[in-house]
Amino acid sequence: MSATLTPAPPKPRPTPSKRASTALPRPPALTVDPSALIAQHAALAGPHPILVAANVVLHPHARISSLHGKVLLGEGVCVAERAVVGVQGAVVGASVGGMGAGGGVVVGNGVCIETGAVVEAGEVGEGTVVEAGGRVGRGCVVGKFCTITAASVVPPDTEIPDFTVVYGMGLRRVDTTLKERVELQEMRLLMHAKQIEVFKKLIPNNVGKWMG
Amino acid sequence: MTVSSLEPPKHPSTDDAGGLAGPFFLSCPYCHWSTLDIGVEFEKHTGITQQLARIKNGGQVVPSLKEREKAREKRREARDGLAPAREDISVETSDAADPTSHEEVFYNLSSFYKSQLSLGASSQPFSPHHDINFSSPSSFSRIMNLYSSASSKKQKRDKPPPMREASSVAEGLTIHSSSSDHAAIQALKLHGWDHTLTYSQKNNQLDQSIRFASELRPSPTLLCTKRGKRCRACRHILSKPEPKITSTRYKIKLLASNHIPRLSIRALSASLPLPTVPSSAAQGFDYSHLQPATTIHFLLTVSNPLFEPVRITLATPSTIMGKVKSKVTILCPQFDVGANTDVWDEALSSAPARRGGPSDSSSGVANSTQVEAGKIWERGRNWTSIILEVVPGIFEQHRGPTFGGGQRSQDDDDLAEDEDVLEIPIFVRIEYESDVAVEDRAPGTEHTRLGGKEKREEAFWSVLGVGRIKSLP
Repeated sequence: MSATLTPAPPKPRPTPSKRASTALPRPPALTVDPSALIAQHAALAGPHPILVAANVVLHPHARISSLHGKVLLGEGVCVAERAVVGVQGAVVGASVGGMGAGGGVVVGNGVCIETGAVVEAGEVGEGTVVEAGGRVGRGCVVGKFCTITAASVVPPDTEIPDFTVVYGMGLRRVDTTLKERVELQEMRLLMHAKQIEVFKKLIPNNVGKWMG
Repeated sequence: MTVSSLEPPKHPSTDDAGGLAGPFFLSCPYCHWSTLDIGVEFEKHTGITQQLARIKNGGQVVPSLKEREKAREKRREARDGLAPAREDISVETSDAADPTSHEEVFYNLSSFYKSQLSLGASSQPFSPHHDINFSSPSSFSRIMNLYSSASSKKQKRDKPPPMREASSVAEGLTIHSSSSDHAAIQALKLHGWDHTLTYSQKNNQLDQSIRFASELRPSPTLLCTKRGKRCRACRHILSKPEPKITSTRYKIKLLASNHIPRLSIRALSASLPLPTVPSSAAQGFDYSHLQPATTIHFLLTVSNPLFEPVRITLATPSTIMGKVKSKVTILCPQFDVGANTDVWDEALSSAPARRGGPSDSSSGVANSTQVEAGKIWERGRNWTSIILEVVPGIFEQHRGPTFGGGQRSQDDDDLAEDEDVLEIPIFVRIEYESDVAVEDRAPGTEHTRLGGKEKREEAFWSVLGVGRIKSLP
């Protein structure tokens, strides 16, 4: 498998994701919808179950880790390069990550996790965007249509209500525009769906590797 | 970071229905604030500032200045019909329901003060605010008064008439109404603390008396103007604003080296006496083996690129610094160089002029054996040659210099690489007169006669490389 993965150009350095994928045991309970798009260097690993729903897009070098808890990716979830979904590091206490047994991560429909973001949250609501470099700590509950702006850090076990924008140094405001206009919410989901279509055209799909 | 997010850069984005149709609104891509929060939508996606000026928060249309003027006229007419005591109150009460905007209050007040000033001026012709108008009889009489009596002028000058204060909303009076306070308290009760503005939000607004988030207005970022740059001395354009905003290209075509005299040096004993071709001149002279401790004459040619005749003063230390003490004497340290002319003039006329120039009178060209102190050697249209007397210093090298540099001795006394090269530092000072254009002057310079000549002076150090000194055996 690895021989077929590294064919044409000499790689500058071995990618950590690939190493992780070879080092970690292949997830025993991996469920991947056939309509999902998993790029070549995306990695799904961990002993706990991982569910990848329909139309999920995993960019190259996206990492889904169920090492410390299950991961559920809802319909149309988009995980960009070097983004990590799943609880990181060892579980400090059993109580941490109270959402569900084992403190898994549930990512709702149409969530967009941008480049380099780390999502360890217990639950992320529908239509939320975690922008580049954002960090959502363990056990957080993020509502619907929230925006975690670029490089913002949400400390663990925080509850973020629907339509919240986390910006600046931990400041928050309610996105009243989106909250009061249903058509804008629909438009946002629509644009997301369109984006996924484009991704499907642009990124070579390697979902077969994970289907077996 | 927080400040930028409070008053963020806004960009137009499409509303529902997609495409470029439908109403538009401004929104911040970072914090997701949008003009929909204050109830403002735009019809077009261009000219946001103009559209914004016409819309109040909440979507009402702001009447234009003309419309406001008309409304005021109407009100005034209506007031004229009514009894003076009643109309003021009626106007106030009608306006209190619809609180006037910041700009409107300012406009009302400024027009009121203008009218008051003109009123005071007409009743008081000696008022300092009144400017003289010869067409009016009052000012004419004032001028006549100036000549007739000085006492009345003094009397009246120091007492401008007291001006009336604004007494109605139409005149710019802002009346404190308890209903607005009640409304503010109600809003605070209804929306809570989050609805109020932070200090920096308030500070960044045009109207700083607002209190609530629904009263916020998007304000445009003021851009810097890009301007061209000219040289202070010669007004040459260095950079110009270009249609492409982000690019700045410098157009420096006039290099400083094109404006200072060019120095060239060659040995006098060279066989070819053509000063303009110094490279081929050194046929019979070995520059890489200069005889130490013997006087060598060099020909220093100074050519002038400027279009004015210049006066040159040269200076050099009599002994060159360094381990090899060479002695240098400039036989003629001060001399004139003629002005440069057009390239074509040189090509057409220099060949015959060179031989028959003033060089013959000053010093003989033909008998080049005669070297005289204080005299220039040769002179052309825009160049002058003088004699430099050099005595190369003595240095000893036990193993002899090898210019390929292979077997140099490692002694401390020994010369470092290229220290046997004879280089003459020369200080050049030039003086010339040039035309003065008035606009050219830098603001500091005072004594410039208009359109006349101006004395200018430049000076620089330069180093002339002569050759390598032969070591003593």
